[in-house]
Amino acid sequence: MLKSVRTLVTASLLLAGTAVSAAETVKLALIDPLTGPMAAAGQPAFEHLKLEAERINANGGLNGAKLEIVGLDNKVNPQESLVQLQKAINDGIQLVTQGNGSSVASALITSVEKHNRRNPGEEVLYLNYAAVDPAFTNDRCSYWHFRFDANADMKMNALTNYIASNKDIHKVYLINQDYSFGHAVSKSAQEMLKQKRPDIEIVGNDFHPLAKVKDFTPYVSKIQASGADAVISGNWGQDITLLVKAAAEFGLKAPFYTYYGASSGVVTQLGDKGVDRIYQINEYYGDFEDPEMAKRQVEMYEKTGWDFYYLRLSTMLDMLKAAADKAGSTDPKDLAKALEGLSIETPTGEVTMRAEDHQIQLPMFISVMQDGMKYGAEGTDYNFHKVAEIAREDVTLPTTCRMRRPN
Amino acid sequence: MSDDMTATMIRSNNRFSLRGLVPWLVFAAVLLILPFIFTDGFSFTLMNAIGINIVFALSYNMLLGQGGMLSFGHAVFFGLGSYAAMHAMIAIDDASYAGEGFWAHVPVVVMPLIGMIGGGLVALILGWPFCRRAGTAFAMITLGLGEMIAAAGQMFPSVFGGEAGIYGNRMVGPQWFGLELAQAADVYWFIAFWTFAAVLAMWAFTRTPLGRMSNAVRDNPDRMQFIGYQPRNIRFLVFIASGSFGGLAGGMAAVNYEIITPESLGLIPSGLALLMAAVGGLGVFYGPIVGAVLVTLMNSLLSDYSDASILYVGLIFLAIVMFAPRGLGGGIEHVRTAYREGHLARRLPGWLGGAVAVLLIALGLIIAIELMFAGHGGGDTVNVFGMQFQAGGITGWLAAVAALVIGVLVMRATKKNREVNA
Repeated sequence: MLKSVRTLVTASLLLAGTAVSAAETVKLALIDPLTGPMAAAGQPAFEHLKLEAERINANGGLNGAKLEIVGLDNKVNPQESLVQLQKAINDGIQLVTQGNGSSVASALITSVEKHNRRNPGEEVLYLNYAAVDPAFTNDRCSYWHFRFDANADMKMNALTNYIASNKDIHKVYLINQDYSFGHAVSKSAQEMLKQKRPDIEIVGNDFHPLAKVKDFTPYVSKIQASGADAVISGNWGQDITLLVKAAAEFGLKAPFYTYYGASSGVVTQLGDKGVDRIYQINEYYGDFEDPEMAKRQVEMYEKTGWDFYYLRLSTMLDMLKAAADKAGSTDPKDLAKALEGLSIETPTGEVTMRAEDHQIQLPMFISVMQDGMKYGAEGTDYNFHKVAEIAREDVTLPTTCRMRRPN
Repeated sequence: MSDDMTATMIRSNNRFSLRGLVPWLVFAAVLLILPFIFTDGFSFTLMNAIGINIVFALSYNMLLGQGGMLSFGHAVFFGLGSYAAMHAMIAIDDASYAGEGFWAHVPVVVMPLIGMIGGGLVALILGWPFCRRAGTAFAMITLGLGEMIAAAGQMFPSVFGGEAGIYGNRMVGPQWFGLELAQAADVYWFIAFWTFAAVLAMWAFTRTPLGRMSNAVRDNPDRMQFIGYQPRNIRFLVFIASGSFGGLAGGMAAVNYEIITPESLGLIPSGLALLMAAVGGLGVFYGPIVGAVLVTLMNSLLSDYSDASILYVGLIFLAIVMFAPRGLGGGIEHVRTAYREGHLARRLPGWLGGAVAVLLIALGLIIAIELMFAGHGGGDTVNVFGMQFQAGGITGWLAAVAALVIGVLVMRATKKNREVNA
């Protein structure tokens, strides 16, 4: 055994030595849960990135360099994520992306910031595709962090605009994961509802441990007892799947207004019980009217078994390509500079990376689960049908960020 | 007269001997030379993790190997020590920003001491009721304690930071010895110093009367009680010492990782301590060091080569507990004793035969496991130590069976060599 360990050590040292010399490829490391209970959130992102990297490479790559995606499993643990980040840095990777878990994102932001200050010339860029704690583009904004998803407040802004217009809703129940992101969702829901519809009563505000609850029935019976006629939840991963499943089995009638109701697994597990009940606020929806998007959905499901869910990942890579081509370089420092204020066209309209706080500005959509959709999710006929579009101007929020730029 | 004799015996035991110094010189030399052999960032990251785990595993062995207390909650001391050090590091950051106060004058390099005080205090507060019994009762109580503290970690976000944990910056406060602590290579010297100091201190502990009595309590607590020593008192003191060194390892981790989350208080890191100590050998002082090096290397490297990495770690643990309960350190001691007594040449063929057999069986198992994982959707070809096998083909399975059969045959053929000489 010792012998094999020794060969492993020498082999890995050799590998680490050669990794740097491959100049024609740019590696992007995805640090996300690829095994364990939250893998259903990380795996589709990994497959999506790999598929879209092929398209980018076919169109000339990043300023001529080939893009390669490397998956690193962090088990949604901040500490493990930093070990993986260090591993990526040691392999000469200077672009990292992560999305699942604002707790992880918080650790990555501080760690990348520290690394870049301590290692000038080897800067690392952190592309955040789904960690939506508003603090990351406000008080804690960092020059090396770019967010390609609307933050929790922007989503809540859009969602409460929609709820405020629905006069049937009088009592709202909030259920969220017990960590920074869940608290941010709950806080902004209370503030915005109070402002937009003072008559709406918050009849419950629950926090449950992240990725630990296996049976949500006790929470659901509390919601039932409260008489709520709408539920708002920012849950993701297994926490949303199990929550709406428990609600469907319990026979709860109130609709769920969610951030991640279309997460993989929900459609299969709910079937008919989810129709007209699960709403989602997202940058895309399941209609795929755009033939190009429809083609990619079909292709991705056939090749990988996952749906084309993360439009923002495609947007992220497209923007990365645009920035690399504009700067004529793939150096993270040049990329960061080129990304600031960059605008590109996407299937849903123009999006811009705001230079002030590195928060993407984009239109959002509210969709609801429906049967008999042309492009069904997870091999079924169900998918999320667009019910409202919220324009970019109605999603955007001001920032308190005072960006510290390197000179 | 008998008093005289004991006095001479003690004196002869305490006599300063150069022979006893040799292992420490070698240890120090290894620590000094390593950074000049492995110079890339990844190696430093790995060596720093190994240093922390060496101290952690040795502190655990104080309880289990020397005191006979099987604990499933040792990570509590590691984690709380780490939290103490992290809060101190944050205090240094704040104080040096303001430029005044006690913390502004404390260097980050002494954080392991803060961790040690933290871990020791926790053991002091919690330990007394636990140490009445060893064995199953102690194991159950520590299991409960570990889970309780880990759960509390989620409930007090102001102290433990919730899911995200708390993080600090090690490049604050006064610098000592020009150690900036910016890169992993800088941190290596910090880790190396504290690893050496902690290992030396823990070895010294085994030579103290308390250390000796903890062995006696492990072997025969009733007799200790008859002689007039309260086993509970001794266990309690050992518990505190072990908790302190666990906290010291936690302090090293706080500086190295600059983040600590409530998960590091839980059952998984506690199990890691047990794994490292048991793989290395509980009965030999340096056993846990060997175990820490091996387990850390496996945990961080194996996953790059195989999807079944966790399975292999489990298999090795199983095999060692079942077939070599004295661990790798016990095996090394075996060879050393034979060498000292001049039996080595006579016994070597049997041992080498056994080693070849184990390697062949391991090879067969590895091929079989990799083929199974490949059939699971891992890929088309399987590469085991440079040998290529088709996932669907029969050759791989034949090779696996052949390696297993030959391994077992070698094992049986050389069995006599091992028995006759035993």
